[in-house]
Amino acid sequence: MATSYKLTRLKAGRDYIADNFQTPLSLSDMAQRAYLSPYHFLRVFKHTYGETPNEFLIRLRVEQAKKMLITENFSISEVCERVGYTSLGSFSSLFLKQTGMAPTLYRRKLWALSAEPFCFPARAIPACYAFHFLGK
Amino acid sequence: MITSIAHATIYVLNQEEALDFYINKLGFEVGDDMQVEGDFRWLTVYPKSNSQLQLVLAEPKEGPMFSKDAADKIRNLVKEGAFGAGVFETENCQETYDALVAKGVEFMQPPTEQLYGIEAMGVDNSGNWFSLVQR
Repeated sequence: MATSYKLTRLKAGRDYIADNFQTPLSLSDMAQRAYLSPYHFLRVFKHTYGETPNEFLIRLRVEQAKKMLITENFSISEVCERVGYTSLGSFSSLFLKQTGMAPTLYRRKLWALSAEPFCFPARAIPACYAFHFLGK
Repeated sequence: MITSIAHATIYVLNQEEALDFYINKLGFEVGDDMQVEGDFRWLTVYPKSNSQLQLVLAEPKEGPMFSKDAADKIRNLVKEGAFGAGVFETENCQETYDALVAKGVEFMQPPTEQLYGIEAMGVDNSGNWFSLVQR
């Protein structure tokens, strides 16, 4: 595990990713914020947080995209751009890999399941919670 | 075989205020923040180093499982500190304790040597107790 000093620097790099995930980010950009070499940043980040900086970045972008696809009326291309991707192909394939569905299908399927517009359906959360809080 | 725990519930008095506490005081991150049909907000947080266990910040409200009376009782129990949020682990209890105290987090017990490590005991802004443990 990283030392306290190194953790502070790592956190700066991680916060930079979290604050700027909607823009194109390179490993060098992230590592620079942590005052570490890209290789060292990657290695210590993975060891500390259990995922690489890029995996963290993809997770944040896909989570944001999921929310936008359901609660906003943006086109898929707009969602793609708004979460920081410049290539629709890359976005779609990463989204598919993370969720098991292409963005269009994800939106169509969840919208169809929800009784209210621009809301996630009860089936999007674990059933025990849906039953407990929503009776569904 | 069950391999891990994915979600655990913390009853809070106000989701927005609890979110502020867990993010801006404890330094957690938002997992899900989804508006679900039926006027339900699915809100989860997790410590930065472990996104595998998400804490569900849920308000006890009248609904399918709770009568108004039951929801009120749970809210009162939360306020009274009858529930615990569990144990949060840290690499350095004293350092984390100092940082949290500086942010205004309330503690009932400062870092203290225990059989299982060094432990401080705090409370969230709803009334849930939590332990901060260095093993």
